Amino acid sequence: MTQAPLRQSVIETILQESQTPTSPTKEHAYSVQLRGVNKVFLQTQFRLQNIHLNVRQGEFLFITGPSGSGKSTLLKLIYGEERADQGEVRVEGQNVGGLRGNRLSMLRRRLGVVFQDYKLISRWTVAENVSFVLRSQGIPRDEVERRLQPTLRLVGLGNKANCLPCQLSGGEQQRASIARAIVGSPRLLLADEPTGNLDHDNAMQVLGILKKLNELGITVMITTHDLYLIERGQARVAHLNQGRLEVLSSEQVTPCEP
Amino acid sequence: MRTVRMPLRGSAKLAWTQVEYLGQETLRGLQRGGWMNWAAISTVTVLLFLFGISLQTSWQVSGLLQQMGSNVQISLYLIPEADGEVVQGTVGQFPGVANVEIVPKEQAWQGLLADLGAADIEGVTEGLGENPLVDELVVRARSVGAVPQLVSSLARVPGVDSVSYLDEALQHLADLNQGLSRVSWAVVSLLTLTAIAVITTTIRLIVIARHQEIEVMQLVGATHTWIYLPFLLQGLAFGLGGAALAWVFLVATRQFAQHLLTRQPNFLQTLAHGLQLQPGQALLLPIILLTFGSLVGLSGSLLAVRRFSLR
Repeated sequence: MTQAPLRQSVIETILQESQTPTSPTKEHAYSVQLRGVNKVFLQTQFRLQNIHLNVRQGEFLFITGPSGSGKSTLLKLIYGEERADQGEVRVEGQNVGGLRGNRLSMLRRRLGVVFQDYKLISRWTVAENVSFVLRSQGIPRDEVERRLQPTLRLVGLGNKANCLPCQLSGGEQQRASIARAIVGSPRLLLADEPTGNLDHDNAMQVLGILKKLNELGITVMITTHDLYLIERGQARVAHLNQGRLEVLSSEQVTPCEP
Repeated sequence: MRTVRMPLRGSAKLAWTQVEYLGQETLRGLQRGGWMNWAAISTVTVLLFLFGISLQTSWQVSGLLQQMGSNVQISLYLIPEADGEVVQGTVGQFPGVANVEIVPKEQAWQGLLADLGAADIEGVTEGLGENPLVDELVVRARSVGAVPQLVSSLARVPGVDSVSYLDEALQHLADLNQGLSRVSWAVVSLLTLTAIAVITTTIRLIVIARHQEIEVMQLVGATHTWIYLPFLLQGLAFGLGGAALAWVFLVATRQFAQHLLTRQPNFLQTLAHGLQLQPGQALLLPIILLTFGSLVGLSGSLLAVRRFSLR
């Protein structure tokens, strides 16, 4: 509770940044659009079939489904790590499938991705892991310093900047991963099972951070199979099952015990 | 004024940030390379050292040939019974002859012993029984082109035992130089391929060791150029490091050879002068080594990252 005023000032800083687009793209009603997307992996016989999904700017969306239903693949299609066999994936109006090389890199600078396995570099401190995003985009050192501390404070890691990932708990590592995803002031945050490896308290803490970021205007898409999280999240839910997508409201999801 | 200065200051700052980042990433990559760095640098050093030796020798021999070629002279060695002055008179009447000098065998013997560094001339002569040399006529031709025909005519002059002329020796030296050049080009080509292969492997191992960082960099929007340029700079560093070492070894070897030759007899001392490079060549040699090293380093690293960057 004592951190509330501090967190508020940090939020204001981040909010200013997120309202300054990193590239001069015009505003779109939809942050993400998937139209008739098909994706087949021949080796595993896995397929996404005829996926249609519109995610509005500033929306908070859960993507649920059993393991292997294609939740992660759906996010990968959005940030361009996988390409659709058919159909179209648009992020802020840009067709991701048509982007290659530097144009894809520029799109990714407007996204933040949180991974289930965190993908933190084990030899680097939390500060290095987070600032690395900005440094690898050629942002000057003083600007990196200016953004780093507010971001770490936002996720509650202000005093862990010099710790190595192995010195952090699972929840802290996930929050470091979130800090890395948001330090570049993204307009869209994709989180792949961000609470998958966390206990209940840490999961709620992470959810709280993601909801707060959403309040700043950042579009958030989370994949999860944690129904309790979905119930607490109070947001629209897209359910994947056997490669097909069905959009539900949070009330339509059957709650379960945490 | 202020509105003009700000963007310039901003772009200079951005450029400095980029240079600083690339430098740091290159150093980080070199640290990750560990002993593989030395494998790459030492291979480039060996390659460039041999290349430098070859180039330097070629320059030195070319200089020697040029120097000797401008001073063509024919030596006539007389039979022991011949009278040098008589033969000198006969030879002087040939139209292609500009000048004839007689070198008595005693003078030639003393000169040879002086060149060999023998101080006790009489002792050596007594040891051999007698002076083994014969009188020699040194003929200067009016033109270089007339030498072969003049040589065949002079060989038929009574009292002349054998004829030799420097052009022949020059030709042998030129042939030897050409042969050495061919061998060194073959060796240098082979070593170039080896150095490129070693650098490619080294950089590839560093890329694999850093795959996690590279993956995250790609996902957070770093461009291919930004990700892979440090690896190219590492290749360049291998090339430049190898070239610098090779140059140091070349200079040290040359100085050591000169130092050794200055303590030797006269004719070997003249070789020490031949080892000296022209001022232009002394400047050109490190430039060529650095350029060649850079090209080898860049080629190796380009081959290494090409495979990854095209994924």
